[in-house]
Amino acid sequence: MKNQKVSFEKKMRQNVGFLFILPWLIGFLIFKLYPFASSLFYSFTDYNLFKGITKFTLDNYVHIFNTPKITRALGVTFKYAFMTVPLKLVAALFVAYILNFRLKGVKFFRTAYYIPSILGGSVAIAVLWKAVFKDEGLLNALLGIFGVESINWLSDPSLALFVICLLRVWQFGSAMVIFLAALKNVPEELYEAAAIEGAGKWRQFFSVTVPLITPIIFYNLVTQLCQAFQEFNGPYIITEGGPRNSTTLISLLIYNSAFKNYEMGMASAMAWVMFVILLVFTVIAFMSQKHWVYYSDDERG
Amino acid sequence: MKYLKKFAAMGLAVVMAASMTACGSTPTESTGESRTAVSEPQTPATESTVQDSGKDYEDCTLTFSWWGGESRHEATIEAVRAFEEKYPGIKVENTYGAWSGWEDSMATMFATQTAPDVNQVNWNWLTAYSADGSAFLDLHQVEDVLDLTQYDEASLAQCTVAGELQAVPASMTGRIFYWNKATFDKAGIAVPMSLADLMDAGRVFKEKLGDDYYPLVLGEYDRMILMVYYLESAYGKPWVEDNQLQYTQEEIEKGLEFIRVLEEAHVTPSIKKLLGDGADSLDKNPKWMNGTYAGIFEWDSSAGKFNSALEDGQEFVVGEFFQDMGQYQGGYSKVSLAFAISETCQHPREAAMLLNFLLNEEEGTTIMASERGVPLSAAALSNCQAKGLLNETVAEANGKVLQWVSYPLDPKFESAALKSTDGVYYDVMSGLSYGEYDIRTAAELLVEGINEELAR
Repeated sequence: MKNQKVSFEKKMRQNVGFLFILPWLIGFLIFKLYPFASSLFYSFTDYNLFKGITKFTLDNYVHIFNTPKITRALGVTFKYAFMTVPLKLVAALFVAYILNFRLKGVKFFRTAYYIPSILGGSVAIAVLWKAVFKDEGLLNALLGIFGVESINWLSDPSLALFVICLLRVWQFGSAMVIFLAALKNVPEELYEAAAIEGAGKWRQFFSVTVPLITPIIFYNLVTQLCQAFQEFNGPYIITEGGPRNSTTLISLLIYNSAFKNYEMGMASAMAWVMFVILLVFTVIAFMSQKHWVYYSDDERG
Repeated sequence: MKYLKKFAAMGLAVVMAASMTACGSTPTESTGESRTAVSEPQTPATESTVQDSGKDYEDCTLTFSWWGGESRHEATIEAVRAFEEKYPGIKVENTYGAWSGWEDSMATMFATQTAPDVNQVNWNWLTAYSADGSAFLDLHQVEDVLDLTQYDEASLAQCTVAGELQAVPASMTGRIFYWNKATFDKAGIAVPMSLADLMDAGRVFKEKLGDDYYPLVLGEYDRMILMVYYLESAYGKPWVEDNQLQYTQEEIEKGLEFIRVLEEAHVTPSIKKLLGDGADSLDKNPKWMNGTYAGIFEWDSSAGKFNSALEDGQEFVVGEFFQDMGQYQGGYSKVSLAFAISETCQHPREAAMLLNFLLNEEEGTTIMASERGVPLSAAALSNCQAKGLLNETVAEANGKVLQWVSYPLDPKFESAALKSTDGVYYDVMSGLSYGEYDIRTAAELLVEGINEELAR
């Protein structure tokens, strides 16, 4: 009897952790795993919200790679991700590096640079962005002072994507905070040693700082990549995918397919294609780690 | 340790990526839309006035949804309160909001049969969401309480789908020109009465007022509707009939040429210029507000919105249909808004009483006035006219439209797949304007896109 009680208590103690993660677990199962699995299922059907499922098919996947509109959107999504992620990481690291110095009012600047991340891709920001970049907007007015002719930021297909990218790059705050924490962890004596060896600030940055924070750069790279491929708000609110589809990311097509045309099967298939692409990039990033990421507990020392 | 860390990180990344797919298939949460749906608290029934004798309805709670602007919300809420007072025991719960994103959420409700009992619907929803009559009740079943004799046969026919009267129309609408007379005065010319006048205005505006001034501003969808108006005037046949596009490739090329000439002759700004203005819609474009763009081709019911957007000193006037576009009277009218009762409604008779109160009875129509356009119901119209409740501009425009236009509209003309920003209308009209498509390619794409939708 006593033995049983002990083992029950022991079991409780072992499993009490599950109790704590239960709210998360329930949310994960219902809002993540279930849609994840059901969207895979729907992607092999012709599921229309109003007509239901009439057949199981691979047509959706064939259609994706045969439709210029969709392949073009995939291309735009790549372009967006590969423009935004490096720019954002460089901006975040650069600002974090500066804010790591003991400057006057540094706390104010840290907060100021973080604010855009809190604002997010809201409607108000979209309005602001339009006001800045429209033909008779703030930016062109500023450029006008220096005699630069007005640029069609929003209506020129070759520039509009850049405007959308800038919105994300501008929100580098969260990546910056993570970099800042990493920079604080770089031991002071390494800089001192480097300085004694005659290394300047730039040399110190590239030969001491960067190698030591590569795990954090790697972390930021993967999370930012995931975010960039999911981008929706910016192009949805600011350009609606235009001009001439130059900012139509795949997420916009998924939304339109699901909630404007009610083709849930097609929308699910596109989401899965995007997921697989992102998975491939993530795996590539992980495989490349051994060439450039330095872990302090690495056997290679 | 190293591997453990890597695997843990890898696992996390997969979960993160997985959540992306989940989001991808249900992204409504992250659209950042400004729609604000409001659920109104129930109004307590005034039990004291209930007289069981002579009461020929059941006590119940109805749900009612509509979209619109602030003034429509206020009028409808007030009318619903009056209904509740007249029929104690019936409670109405209102859900209302702005148009943006409204159709997306209603469509989901129709598909899952969770829509409110009574709904304000767009005319094309009947075919889009209830082609087999499964979403909306056949209103002939409740005609003992809903007075259908107030509507002419033609307008009821437009709401008859799958042999069932699925909705009761609130008003009819069509597109018409509106001009800002102040700008035309500045240019020293009268507002256009004909196509020739309009073309000439393009030249005069450029010469006298400068490159930024245009007599007419047209977005992509406006261009599509204007082109159909032009083609119907020239060829005398409806755009689509019996689910068949009635125009040949050559005829459509003529229509697209007409649109291109408008741009070339400085009548209307290019799509690029419009996008560069950075405005969400024409009524929010500063160049419309200050008279730089001096004309629009819009729904008669939108007059108020465009008029009130103008700055002081501008003068909004209703235009005339052009006699010289062709030998026929082109253009179309359609049911602008309608009300439908869901098939799932448990109290269809009481729901029909609500509709009758809002659309036909004196008390209800006095409050609703022209919040949904000039009323189609004969009783409502004469009541509003007698009490002077109609907006003068809207009434003038509506009168002109209904007197002129002679063609019906195929409901699929407005299907989301065609008219949304990634639909074929936008693609063709902006592609033409950007010089990406020549006339022939644009016409081919348009024909292909429309036929694809008609075949669905």
